[in-house]
Amino acid sequence: MFEFMDMHILPKVDDESSCARMAQLVALSGYKAVGLSIPTGLLGDRQKFLRRCFQDKGVEVFLRVDLTCSKREELLKLLRRFRSMFDIIGVRCTSHNLALIAARDRRVDLIFFDSTTRNVWFDDSIGNVSMAMLELNLTSVLKTPNSLVFTRLRKDIEVARRHNVGVVLSSGATSPLLVRTPIQMASVAEILGLSKHESISGVSTIPQSIVDRNLKRRSRSYVEEGVETIVGGSDS
Amino acid sequence: MSRRYVLVRIFSTAPVTEEQFAKATTASILTYFGEIGLSRISPKLIRFDSRRSSAVLAVAKDYIVEMQTALALIGRIGETDASVLPLKMSGTIKGVS
Repeated sequence: MFEFMDMHILPKVDDESSCARMAQLVALSGYKAVGLSIPTGLLGDRQKFLRRCFQDKGVEVFLRVDLTCSKREELLKLLRRFRSMFDIIGVRCTSHNLALIAARDRRVDLIFFDSTTRNVWFDDSIGNVSMAMLELNLTSVLKTPNSLVFTRLRKDIEVARRHNVGVVLSSGATSPLLVRTPIQMASVAEILGLSKHESISGVSTIPQSIVDRNLKRRSRSYVEEGVETIVGGSDS
Repeated sequence: MSRRYVLVRIFSTAPVTEEQFAKATTASILTYFGEIGLSRISPKLIRFDSRRSSAVLAVAKDYIVEMQTALALIGRIGETDASVLPLKMSGTIKGVS
């Protein structure tokens, strides 16, 4: 069981010292688990190295893939292919249509929007049908700290709250210096409009529930939502 | 005014001086919360340890969230990329020593 989790860390897979430093800072920041976003074709050896890097510091690792595409068919194909291979699936929404499809699909855990992509944001039509959680990456604020980005994040949070969509707070760190503590991330979210409880949940219980659900889904006993095989059970 | 003391660690690509850190903290608060925010948060640099790259800040108790946000949004100190991570918070200086 972990307490705080950063669901979106993008380590430089070829740079061992950067990965080690990142692991050190993540552990120091108080995280007990991370979602490592890795390229889909990453070799097993590199995956093992990354896992070891973080696990040596006492941080549990969950592998994540970020899907980006432009067409519906392409997204569905990628989901079919990668759902069983990764612990967490995130979709970078580059168009409104794609966001709608990703939000509706039960296989998608998280959807997130690039602050640089114009005319695509988390609006009511997406919030209304969303089964995936909305992810807010702190990197978008750190890279372009202007009022437009803050306004957009505030609107995203407003829509998510209106439609009871869970908000996950992640760093989206690509380098060790972009890692922030869970309390810092919760503070930023609180300033942007989430309640204290919601913002703390965004770095603790919500990520935990996503990972737990996916582990359950990948277990042998899982058949369908609400249906499980009970081995060795009795009906008395 | 009741205060909280925050122990922070500074991570950067080059060494950071006390003045640079103080300036970066003030600038971040001013950028995101303005002059009124700065007066409300009223941050005070109590101690700076350049060897350990750590510092202790005193902050108004009711504005700790604003302070944490301002620290989170610091991406550069002086001319170097940096991050400031609050590691401990207490109601007394002794608590963060």
